[in-house]
Amino acid sequence: MIAIVVCAVLAVYAGLRVVTERNTMKKLPFVNVISFGVAGVIALLLPHPLTILAAAAYFVGSTLESNAIASTWAGGMRRDD
Amino acid sequence: MLEEPVRILIAAAICWLNFVTVDLIFKLPEKGGVIGATAIAEQVEATGGNKNGGFMMGNIVSSPDASAGTLLAACGVYCSGLFGGLFAAVLVYIGNRICYDPGYAGTTGCLTATLIVYGAVQSGWFAASDFIAGMVIAILTIQGISSMYASRLIGRLWRIRSRFIRAGRP
Amino acid sequence: MIDTVMIACVALILIGMAATIAARDPFDKLISLSVMIAGVFPFIADRGYLDVAIAVALVAPISTIFILMACRRETA
Repeated sequence: MIAIVVCAVLAVYAGLRVVTERNTMKKLPFVNVISFGVAGVIALLLPHPLTILAAAAYFVGSTLESNAIASTWAGGMRRDD
Repeated sequence: MLEEPVRILIAAAICWLNFVTVDLIFKLPEKGGVIGATAIAEQVEATGGNKNGGFMMGNIVSSPDASAGTLLAACGVYCSGLFGGLFAAVLVYIGNRICYDPGYAGTTGCLTATLIVYGAVQSGWFAASDFIAGMVIAILTIQGISSMYASRLIGRLWRIRSRFIRAGRP
Repeated sequence: MIDTVMIACVALILIGMAATIAARDPFDKLISLSVMIAGVFPFIADRGYLDVAIAVALVAPISTIFILMACRRETA
């Protein structure tokens, strides 16, 4: 019972930090904290085998979104290898 | 069994040690994996942080590494036992390949976290839900409190790690 | 879903919505939009529609990538 409240409250805290941070690139670590918290909430709400797939899909999708935003901000989707 | 808040804090310490150790072994603070991670590191350094710590923060943001592996392993063990943790490792590997990453750090972190969480649940001292909340607290200390102090802490750990590289160990 | 979690998710949606309206930079707008999407997921998963949650989780980043193609950083 306490675990799910911890995840949800920390997600809201990170959301407030996203709004108050001025630098666009330094917002992205807080977005990452939100996706950790929300993936934890999804898994704790409904213990079912398919929930792992839902949490992983949400987490990977959110990570890909942050990756695309950061790469476009830095100047294109090129890879530097 | 201990009280639940105490268990969550102990689980947070275990998760923190697990993912920071695996990330340092796989040299995440050495360079940015994608161009976005390098941009985040430059911004962190411009506001008073350490560049190697910024590289690790950028790599955590832009691809699922050992921290994501620890969280999804805890979710997998919570939902369907040992098999769920191994399934989560496969999903983390696929997610790493989607985000242009080799995927060794995430998969290794997920496998070690599966063993740790499953062992802790079998020993009767912890529940798997403690590790989910503990991992959220652990990632908050790196990404969510202060990017300046967190990156300096990782930079100090990376200096210790890079001593072993110069001594010839992989 | 217990009340505290529900209030937290509603707060996440409202924070994301207000920040999306208030932001000027297109990148700030997209980041705030992803905060809002994050608040929606627990409501989908709580009803048991896990297939819908998986579909939305895969569609949302793809739509973001399409928007990013439209707003490159020439202006900034």
